[in-house]
Amino acid sequence: MKTLSRRAWVLYVLAALFLAGLGVLFYTFWSNADDWAMRHANRHLYAGDTLTAAGSITDETGAVLAETVDGERQYNDDRDIRTATLHVVGDSEGYIATGVQTAYQEELTGYNFVDGVYDVKRYGKGNDLQLSVNAGLCVEAYDALGKNKGTVGVFNYKTGKLVCVASKPAFDIANKPAENINNDKTGAYEGVYLNRFFSGLYTPGSTFKIITAASALDNIADIEDQSFRCRGSYGIDGGSVKCLSTHGTIGFERALNVSCNSAFAQIALQVGAEKLTATTTALGFNQRFMLGNIRLAQSRFDVSGASQLDLGWAGVGQYTTLVNPCHMLMIVGAIANGGQAVMPYLVERITTQDGAVVQEAETETGAQMFSEATAARLQELLRSNVENYYGDRRFRGLEMCGKTGTAEVSSEEGGDDPHAWFVGYSQREDLPYAIVVVVENGGGGSSVAIPVANQVMQAVDDLYGK
Amino acid sequence: MAAKTKKKKQARARRYRKPVSWPLWLLFMTLFQLSCMLQIYINGTQESMVTLFTVYGVYIAAEWIYFFVFGVVLRRKSFEIELIAFFLTGLGLTLTTSVYPDRAFTQLAAVLMGIVVFIVMLWILGDTKRVIRLRMPVAVLAIAALGVTLLIGDEINGAKNWIILGDGVLSIQPSEIVKVAFVFVGAATLEHLQSTRSLTKYILFAGACIGMLFLMKDFGTALIFFFTFIVIAFLRSGDIKTIFLVCTAALLGGLGILTFRPYVANRFQTYRHVWEYAQTGGYQQVRLLIYSVSGGLFGLGIGNGRLRSVYAATEDLAFGMVCEEFGIIIAFAVLLTFVALVVYSIRYAAAARSAFYSIAALAASSLLLFQAALHVFGVTDLLPWTGVTLPFISRGGSSMLCCWGLAAFIKAIDVRTYRRYDKIARN
Repeated sequence: MKTLSRRAWVLYVLAALFLAGLGVLFYTFWSNADDWAMRHANRHLYAGDTLTAAGSITDETGAVLAETVDGERQYNDDRDIRTATLHVVGDSEGYIATGVQTAYQEELTGYNFVDGVYDVKRYGKGNDLQLSVNAGLCVEAYDALGKNKGTVGVFNYKTGKLVCVASKPAFDIANKPAENINNDKTGAYEGVYLNRFFSGLYTPGSTFKIITAASALDNIADIEDQSFRCRGSYGIDGGSVKCLSTHGTIGFERALNVSCNSAFAQIALQVGAEKLTATTTALGFNQRFMLGNIRLAQSRFDVSGASQLDLGWAGVGQYTTLVNPCHMLMIVGAIANGGQAVMPYLVERITTQDGAVVQEAETETGAQMFSEATAARLQELLRSNVENYYGDRRFRGLEMCGKTGTAEVSSEEGGDDPHAWFVGYSQREDLPYAIVVVVENGGGGSSVAIPVANQVMQAVDDLYGK
Repeated sequence: MAAKTKKKKQARARRYRKPVSWPLWLLFMTLFQLSCMLQIYINGTQESMVTLFTVYGVYIAAEWIYFFVFGVVLRRKSFEIELIAFFLTGLGLTLTTSVYPDRAFTQLAAVLMGIVVFIVMLWILGDTKRVIRLRMPVAVLAIAALGVTLLIGDEINGAKNWIILGDGVLSIQPSEIVKVAFVFVGAATLEHLQSTRSLTKYILFAGACIGMLFLMKDFGTALIFFFTFIVIAFLRSGDIKTIFLVCTAALLGGLGILTFRPYVANRFQTYRHVWEYAQTGGYQQVRLLIYSVSGGLFGLGIGNGRLRSVYAATEDLAFGMVCEEFGIIIAFAVLLTFVALVVYSIRYAAAARSAFYSIAALAASSLLLFQAALHVFGVTDLLPWTGVTLPFISRGGSSMLCCWGLAAFIKAIDVRTYRRYDKIARN
C-alpha cells in the first residue's frame, strides 16, 4: 500500500498539468475576449455584418448620427450630415477603420469580459457614444473643400476637443454607391474609406518651415540676425533648391513670411541633419499616436543618408518627409499653447442605457514639444505671417496665426498640381481653436487653402466665439 | 511497534475526522437546481412546462431519497463524490431540458439508470473475491461488445461507435460502457501487484480494446483508453521504463497512421486554425469561443445563449454552453471538480482496504479528468479536437452510465462506504 500511495503522487503531476491548462485557457479567454466577441458571427451583437447591438452615436449637440431601430442601423436624416460625418461615425462593415462604429465597437456594445454581452441582453443595445464634433461644422468644412479631395480638422488647443473632422471624398452611407466605388476608374472614390485626417500622410511642403524655424531658434543663437540671399534658387552640390520667387537679401522672419525656399534650405544646412532630426523627434515624428482607440498614421522624417541637397529640400518640407494632418494640428496647437501639446480627442462621452457614464473625455497633455521661449517666438512669427503677408482681411476678425504650404507632389512639368496646406490658430482668448486644411492637388496654399480655413474658422467663431 | 500502530491509527482517524456536512450542501444544490428550473420556466414555452416540472421533480426527489437512505437510514458519512456527481449531472440535465425539451425524459431515465449503476457497482465492489471472479467474464464481455460494434455498428460523425436498435429508438455507445470494464479489469489484480507477468495479460486486453477503437475511428476514446492503461500499468508495476517504451511505440504508431492514412490527419487540419475554417471545419469551435466569452464571468442566464442553436451544443460543445449561460466562473468550477476527484483518490489511496480499491479509484478519477481535459482543451482549440463528451454534463445515455459507474470506483476507495463511521473510529 505504501508503494502504491507513493506512485499515486504521480497523479498530482497530472492534476497540476490540468490546472496549468486551465490557467492557459483562462488567459486565452481573457486576452482574446474582445477580439472573439466582436466577430461578426456573434449573433448577440451582429445581424449579418451590421453591429445592431451598438447604442446611438450623437454629435456634441446631441444630434443623432447613427442608431439602431428595430434591429437595423439608421443614420441621420440629413444627407449632407450623413456624408460629412461618414468617416468619424464609420460604417457597419468596418471598411472605415478609424470610424467609431469600428474603433469603438466594444464600447458601443458595452461588451466586457466580466459581464459579457449582458447589457445588450438587458437593454437590447449597448452604450451610447457622444462625439466631440459638431455635425454642422463638419458639413461646412466638407463643402468648403469644394471639388477637391482633402481634409479639414479643427480642435480646441487648450482642451483637445476636436470640433470638426472632414475627409473628402465620402459618400452617403444610407445610399452607399457600392457599384461605383468598386468599379471606380475615374479616381473619384480614391481612398474613400480612409479618414484622411487620421490616416492620411502628405508631403508637408512649406508648413514644415515652422519646424525648420523652431530647430533654428533652438540651435543657432544668432539666427534672427542673419540674412540670406535668394536668387530664385539655392545651389547645393551641383543641384539646387528652387524658390517660387526671387527674394534677394532677406532676414529670418521675412523669409518665413514669404516662405523663401532658398533661405530655409540654407537654414536647414546650417542646423544640420542631426539637430533637425532631433527637433522632429521631439515633435513626435516617427512616433505612433493613439487618440483613444484611433491610431494616427505615423509622420515620417528621415534624413539619414541624405545628401546636402536632399537636406536642403527636407528643410522646406519636401524630400521624403510625410506628415499626418492631425499630427500637424497637434504641433501647431502646441505652439499656440506655449509649447505644451494637448492630445486631440474625438469621443466626448460613453454612457450606458441607464445613463451611467462609462467613459468621459478629459484633457490629456502630451509632450512638451517646444520650449516656452521657442513657442513664444513661433507665435509671433506665425502671427507675423498673417499680419504682414497673407493679410488679416482674409481672416476677418479672427486674429489668425499660421503658415501655408504648397507641397509639390509631381516632379514633372505639367504633372499633378501641388497639395495646398494651411495650418494655424486664432490667438483670440475666447477662440482657442487651431485648424489644419489640406486640399489635395488644389494648387497654392495661400490661394486655395486659406479661403477654406477662413470659411471654417468663421463658422467656428459663430459657434464658439464670444 | 505498538507506538507505530497507534500513530497509524491516529493518522487514519485524523484523515476521517471531518466529513463534509452533506445536508447543508444538499440544500444548496437543490436551491441551485430549483433556480435553474425557474430560469427555464421564465424563458420557456407553455408546452414544455409539464416536462420541466417532472424532470426536476423526479431528479431532486432522487437526490433526496439517495441521501436519506444512505445518510439517515444507513448512517453513512462522507458524501463528497455523490455531491459532485449530482451537481454535475444536474447541470447537464438543465442544459438538455432547456435546449431539447423533447429529449429530457430520455436523459432523465439515463440519469436514474446511472444512479442505479452506481449503487450496484458499489455492491459489487464491496467484495474483492466477487471482483476477482468477475474479472475474466467482464474482460470477455468488453472485448465482445467492442467487436460487435465494429461489425454491426453505425457511423455517426465519422466514428463507427454506435449501435442503433429499433430504428433509432435506442442508441448505445458500447465504448462508453467498456470504459468501466476497462478500469475494473485493470485494477482487479491485487494479488500480483508487482509482477510483470500479470501485466502482460492486461497489455493484451488493453491493446485489443484500443485497437478496435482505432478501427472505429473513435480516436478520442482510444486516447482515453490508452491514457488509462498507462495510469494503471504504472500504478501496478511502477515500471517507468516499460511505460516509456509503450508510449514511444504508441507515438511512433500514431505518427505512422497519420503518415499512411491521410484522412486521419485531415480530421486535425483545423487544429490551431479554427478561425480560418470558421464556416467549415472550425464552425462549431469558433461559435463556442465567441459565445463562451459573450457570457462573461456570470453568464447570460439559462435560455439566453446563442450557442444552443449550434449543432451538438449539449454534447460536443457542453463546456461552451456552461460558459455562455452559467458563466465562466461556474464553467471553471465544474472543471475543478474533476481535479477534486483525483485529489480525493490520491489522499485516500494509502488508507484503502486493498490495492484494488486504490488503483480503481485513481484510474477512474484520472480517466474522468483526462476526458474533461480532452473535451475542454480540444473544443477550445488548445489541443486537437477529438469530440469527446464532458463527463456527467454532456447529453448522452451511455456516457451517463459510464460516469456514474466510474464514480463508484472513486466512492469505493473510502472505507466508510461499507462501514459505519462510528465503528471505524472505535477500531
